[in-house]
Amino acid sequence: MSITAETAKQHANDPAVLCCRAEAGTELTPANFEDPAIFPDLVDSGLLNLDGALTLGQVLNGSKLTKTVDSLTPVTADIVDKYDAAEGAEEAPAAEAAPVVEAAPVAAPAPAPAAGGYITLHIGEGKDINITIPTGVGGGVAAAPAAVAAPAVAAAAPAAKAEEEGEAVVVREMTRKHYKIDKVVLGDETKIEGTTLYIRQAAAQEGADAQKLVHSLVLDVITPDNYHVYSETVMDIQPIATKEEDAELGEGVTRVLDGVVMVVTGITEEGVQVGEFGSSEGYIDENMMWGRPGAVDKGEIIIRAHAVIDNKKNMERPGPIAIHTAVDHVTQEIRQAMKKQLTDEQVVETQVLRQVRRPGKKKIVIVKEIMGQGAMHDNFLFPTEPVGVLGAKPNVDLGNVPVAANPLEVMDGCIHALTCIGPASKEMSRHYWREPLVYEALHDDDVDVVGVIFVGSPQANTDKFYVSRRLGQMVESMNVDGAFVTTEGFGNNHVDFTSHIEQIGKRGVPVVGFSFCAVQGALVTGNKYCDAMVDNNKSMSGIENEVLACNTLCHEDAIRGLAMLKAKMAGESIKAPERKYTHAVKESNVELIEKAYGRKIELVENEQSLPLSEKRKAKYD
Amino acid sequence: MENIQMLLKQGAVGRPCAPVVAVGDKVKKGTLIATPTGLGVNVHSSVYGEVVEITEDRIIIKPDEEQPDEYVKIAKGSNLEMIKEAGVIGQGGAGFPTFIKIYNGKEDKPVLDHGYILVNASECEPGLAHNIQQIDEDPATLLRGIHYLMEIAGADKGIIAIKKKHRATIEKLDALLKDDPDIERHLLPDIYPMGEERAVVRECLGIELEPDKLPSAANAVVINSETVYSCVAAIEDQKPLIDKNITVRGMIEGGNEAHVFEHVPVGTSVQALIERAGGLDKRGYGEIIMGGAFTGKACNLEDPITKCTGAILVTRQFRDLKGAKVGILVCACGGNLERMEDLVAKYNGTVGHVCYCKQAAEMPNGTRKCERPGNCPGQVKNNLEFKKAGCEYIIIGNCSDCSNTVMASGPKMGLKVMHMTDLAMMAVGHPLYRTLKVSKKVDQDLNVVDNVEDNETVQ
Repeated sequence: MSITAETAKQHANDPAVLCCRAEAGTELTPANFEDPAIFPDLVDSGLLNLDGALTLGQVLNGSKLTKTVDSLTPVTADIVDKYDAAEGAEEAPAAEAAPVVEAAPVAAPAPAPAAGGYITLHIGEGKDINITIPTGVGGGVAAAPAAVAAPAVAAAAPAAKAEEEGEAVVVREMTRKHYKIDKVVLGDETKIEGTTLYIRQAAAQEGADAQKLVHSLVLDVITPDNYHVYSETVMDIQPIATKEEDAELGEGVTRVLDGVVMVVTGITEEGVQVGEFGSSEGYIDENMMWGRPGAVDKGEIIIRAHAVIDNKKNMERPGPIAIHTAVDHVTQEIRQAMKKQLTDEQVVETQVLRQVRRPGKKKIVIVKEIMGQGAMHDNFLFPTEPVGVLGAKPNVDLGNVPVAANPLEVMDGCIHALTCIGPASKEMSRHYWREPLVYEALHDDDVDVVGVIFVGSPQANTDKFYVSRRLGQMVESMNVDGAFVTTEGFGNNHVDFTSHIEQIGKRGVPVVGFSFCAVQGALVTGNKYCDAMVDNNKSMSGIENEVLACNTLCHEDAIRGLAMLKAKMAGESIKAPERKYTHAVKESNVELIEKAYGRKIELVENEQSLPLSEKRKAKYD
Repeated sequence: MENIQMLLKQGAVGRPCAPVVAVGDKVKKGTLIATPTGLGVNVHSSVYGEVVEITEDRIIIKPDEEQPDEYVKIAKGSNLEMIKEAGVIGQGGAGFPTFIKIYNGKEDKPVLDHGYILVNASECEPGLAHNIQQIDEDPATLLRGIHYLMEIAGADKGIIAIKKKHRATIEKLDALLKDDPDIERHLLPDIYPMGEERAVVRECLGIELEPDKLPSAANAVVINSETVYSCVAAIEDQKPLIDKNITVRGMIEGGNEAHVFEHVPVGTSVQALIERAGGLDKRGYGEIIMGGAFTGKACNLEDPITKCTGAILVTRQFRDLKGAKVGILVCACGGNLERMEDLVAKYNGTVGHVCYCKQAAEMPNGTRKCERPGNCPGQVKNNLEFKKAGCEYIIIGNCSDCSNTVMASGPKMGLKVMHMTDLAMMAVGHPLYRTLKVSKKVDQDLNVVDNVEDNETVQ
């Protein structure tokens, strides 16, 4: 497409290629030229050979064509009457060269990232997307929290390092009391005796009876010794937790059962899965990406609540809402038992979660885009109980507008996730309970997390831009130095995802985005602020492989994102990505960060670690 | 003789008129039968006969056996009043009321400030012949008409824009113009589009107007040549606009030469015109287009012509693409998305992806206008999108220059390029719109043979 004078100036050192046929005698103007941004695609497909091409800067000073030439002809010396000499030295092609890492870690606890090498990150095959980041983010090596499985969410005590900027300030704290469950029995009464959870089986049908659309809700228990059980698509995975007394989410005490999770599944009467882009039905051991923040951990007991709903309601918002509400009737009864029957003697572990602020450090905000297209895409926000239903407002009904939360609310179950998009990239309710980005950012001594914003992804584009403009304004008012924007799923939601980044970016706030993109989810839109992206993909083929939570945001992604944002906030540019998705970019980024931080980053396994299902064999791998 | 159907909305723009006759009324040729309710012009009966039915959108008249040449004359008045009374609308396509174009309601201040009347005699749509034939037969009337319009609109100069290929007609004009210093002619190349009003302004005056600007922004009024003749008929003969010149061409028995019918009563059916030309080709046809191949619409045999219908084109049969994915490139010079989707369906294709030409600016009313008609902004990005979307074919409606650009990359990427006008062009024996080999500029000297570039020498 023809370019403007401004674009021509930006690309003054790029080859001059005519966008259209131009006749002899034509004085060349920017309107005669093709946008250099698409040249790589053209060269790749053999449509363009740039050998001998003059640059835009050389031919935009009154050069005239001496021959009539067709579209996509590079301007060479033999077809213009005159041209300017090339400016200065040859443009260094180094931007694409192998990343250099000398990092020279700064010994002092100076928070400012030192200059260093570059990390290249690639996302999809789209344009305007990828990245290189400087890695010399020295300092802060000591207190780096490492283990993904680290149970403590508490901000690592920064006491040892009295920062010049001042001590970390604890804004609020809450306590999680863990109770061990090693046996679940379905029976006539809901109660907890020792480490055995009894669930009144009839509660499930009562929950179903109260929901017009739910025909039946049946519980069963799947134990670690037999995960090879067929399951309909998993709609959600929920921690079973309750607040002590009248404490609100994010404060006071939360009681949570360890070793057991609630797993919601659903189909219609006709047997259609409640899922939109793919569904995870199949044998659990073949379709569950164990250990992901949102998934079941290997060794946990699964309480499966399976619902059958009205035909055709699998793709309409009331269907999933009815299922979740019915299931919560069962969970609520367990919560009541936990409140009444559990005693402090039974506590196996106590965690104190603290929200810390780090005055003087770079202020960052975490924006999490959550699905709100209606259909089945919705989330309950701020229930009374962790991942409950009562007291919550669906974000669709809130108009998907941005809503602020504090990090402890997030990790105390303020999101009850209803969305049933691609199973591999969906963030389950449990994901928020263990949100890796919130966790890593809170533990990072170099940044000061001001809070978390949830923003819905509405269906209509006009609504998408409506909410992203509100988001931009909200972020502006926070006066932050940097922002993360995460999303789940891919495709439709990328429209607002990139718009969020634009709205924040254009206010001068550096942004790093997180999404599953890879091969199948390559960004469908983009803008100049989308230059720093972390790809959540873990699958071998870069696809939505229908393995539950496979491609969701993990600690390894959060760590890369933090390094990238710190680099961006320090004014470093991010190197453009490879043109086609390759794991190599992530691998080299990880390697660079490990060297720079002196920290080993444990990478999670992907679907290849699971037994190969017939579905995967047939459809994917 | 078949019934005549007078549509209450004769142009593409404006509001439907209100009937002023009732069922059973006897009408004469020229009887006023409907008047405007908003933007619009008077509608007069084009035949002698009886009103047999009035529906929501038309008045149906059963013609008498006898059809004398005389007609009911419009009242005498100023030239402008007579153009208004006669119900003259632009016959180049959209049918905008002519009196509004040339008069702004201010007695003391005409629409133009010593400006230009630009006569569009480009006969821009390929395969048409009625405009040039009319000028060829009677160039003097055209010049008189231009003077009438110059006076009303406040123009100092008239310019006739005509394609250089019509040499014989231009020579006749030149013979008259040498004694008329206020009017000149401007020669156009034979490419599409040249008749788009902002293209006419650019070619004649060298002023490139924004898509949302009217020619008045360049101190000009652009008016189709046939419309000029209608204005003269109104002024000199007190004749309402009740008949029309039409080109009928394509898959017609007897060959694909243009059949030009003059003074066809408005309201005549497509079928009657095709029968008059020889009937539909017995080997079959694809669709019937009312209007030109680029901007016309598919129609039915029973549809009536209006005051702004210029052509009936019968196209070749559609190939069966067997459901193949087709990308649609919508631009402002050809069909809109609806028309393109209609074509894809007729080809039995599946719409794989839709792109819009970068220059197809959307207007507040939803239509599109080209930012620089006839000058391409580049198309390879769209082709990449079509390829990425898995399209096997693409269908385009672009001008000569843009089609050429599409061809520069499309086929190399493996996209099979079709142009929306292909079947009509095959039917009328016109080259298909693909690559462009001629210059977009012509020398204004009729005797200079223009350089036909060979753009394949440099690659």
